[in-house]
Amino acid sequence: MTASIQRLGRTALGVIREMGRMALFLAKAVGYFFLPPFRPRNLLRQIHFIGLRSLFVICLTAVFSGFVLSLLGYYTLSRFGSSGLLGPAVAFSVIRELGPVLSGLMVTGLAGSALTAELGIMRIREQLDALEIMGIQPVQYLVVPRIQAALISLPVLTMIFDVIGILGGYVEAVHLLGMSGGTFIGAIELGMTDIGISLVKAVTFGLIISWVCTYKGFYALRGAEGVSQATTSAVVLSSVLILVSDYFITSMML
Amino acid sequence: MTAFSPDMAASVAGSRSRIGQQLVEAGVVSIGQLQEALRLQPVQRGKGDLIGSILVELGYLGQADLLQFLFQQFRKERLAYQVVPAEEGIIEFRGIEKILDGRRVLDGIDLVIPRGKITAVIGVSGGGKSVTLKHMVGLMKPTRGSVLVGGRDLATLSTKELSQVRRRFSMLFQGGALFDSLSVFDNVAFPLRETTGLSEEVIRHRVERALKEVNLAGMGGKFPDDLSGGMSKRVALARALVTEPEILLLDEPTAGLDPIIENAIHYLICDTFMRTRLTMVLISHAVPDIFNWCHHVVALHQGKVLESAPSWAIAQSENPVIRQFIRGDLEGPIQVI
Repeated sequence: MTASIQRLGRTALGVIREMGRMALFLAKAVGYFFLPPFRPRNLLRQIHFIGLRSLFVICLTAVFSGFVLSLLGYYTLSRFGSSGLLGPAVAFSVIRELGPVLSGLMVTGLAGSALTAELGIMRIREQLDALEIMGIQPVQYLVVPRIQAALISLPVLTMIFDVIGILGGYVEAVHLLGMSGGTFIGAIELGMTDIGISLVKAVTFGLIISWVCTYKGFYALRGAEGVSQATTSAVVLSSVLILVSDYFITSMML
Repeated sequence: MTAFSPDMAASVAGSRSRIGQQLVEAGVVSIGQLQEALRLQPVQRGKGDLIGSILVELGYLGQADLLQFLFQQFRKERLAYQVVPAEEGIIEFRGIEKILDGRRVLDGIDLVIPRGKITAVIGVSGGGKSVTLKHMVGLMKPTRGSVLVGGRDLATLSTKELSQVRRRFSMLFQGGALFDSLSVFDNVAFPLRETTGLSEEVIRHRVERALKEVNLAGMGGKFPDDLSGGMSKRVALARALVTEPEILLLDEPTAGLDPIIENAIHYLICDTFMRTRLTMVLISHAVPDIFNWCHHVVALHQGKVLESAPSWAIAQSENPVIRQFIRGDLEGPIQVI
């Protein structure tokens, strides 16, 4: 009994310590946002890496999400004779929910895992130590441009997802299910709030992905197994945090 | 031995070319040849003594002859150090303790690294050598005690001040720590581009010189994946030297290399030392060979300094742990299995 309580206490302390270390890591990185030297080339390279690397998969996911949403929505709504509401249902779901969440999850799987693995390998090959000895702060040089790039890329990717997702829904409804194009588009009424919520979510998810993935890579343990564990843990933690924060943002902004 | 005229002596002294003076004194090159080389010296930048390289370029001296000469000079100086060790230290450990994951890795280390000499740190694996090296440059903080570099306690420095102190150092990591995505040239240029405001032309000049010094001239376009172990170590050495540090730390520079490349790296270290007069601290398992390549040896075991003395004294040590380590005996105080 005492041993179990001790184990529980140790685990709880470990979790609190880890959370504190993660918070300090983020605070340090955000502090460097405003300190020179600024390296715009590094930032552009990371935007290219995170944005372009994920673009094709985002587009593909968006098209098929639109298809599925339209298909299921049509059959559900037509039971109640409300198939005319399909356009708003698809647009609302894509913009408020599927766009940011699926973009976040796709970026986590594609770019996030690569960020962790890259930093983890740099850690085990002592490249981070080498930077420190050269008088270069590894957090400023490696982490800051990655976080900034994610904060810029995620909203853009989410917007692309939103547009392509709605277009996918349109193609499915109009060309495959025989619905009128005017009915689908005409009924869509979206306000700035909807787009605003989508962007708030995208920025939050961008921060979560880049923060968790760079942190896990930065503190990867020695050896290939350490990098592998860090990558898995980064993807799982980022995905879970995306879904949890999505719920809270949605509840607050409904 | 060639006598210097007052003018020539002033010229040599002004150029700070110790090697040039020694080459003339040994009759390897003439005063006229040295004067010609000295005329070319001012156009070169940097702190290193380049007279030897310039004499090689002018055809007055073969590369192998220069290396042999430098090694002979080094041997003389090393032997002199065995009799009269230097008293001035550049790095000092005062009662350093380090506990990692509940294990005491360093246990009250007191140590002085002599300025302008090559110091080898030896000991069995897991004895705290790499941790000691990382404490020297502030990559690790001691659990107790203080590390002084040039008299300044690293623990009391701000991040900015620590960065400034670190710029006095360079380090050659065991695996090289080269950036895979950058070419050899860009790897060597990296610290200059990121930490100095030098123009690209000056950087190109210094990188090419550094690559030439490690016998990798013309290899700048290659990538780390294309290089052999020995070549990677030489690129890493060029990167470490290009910033013209005051202290060079080398973590097992010959680990995993064949005996010929190992010897070549030792010659290169010796050559670099003679030209730059850096303080060098290297971790090595190449005993007893390493005693021929360094002035001073620190023997570590189980986180404690067993002995810190001129290399000859360590080679002759009566300490049973050191003796077993040098001889590679399976039986003795060091438990192998």
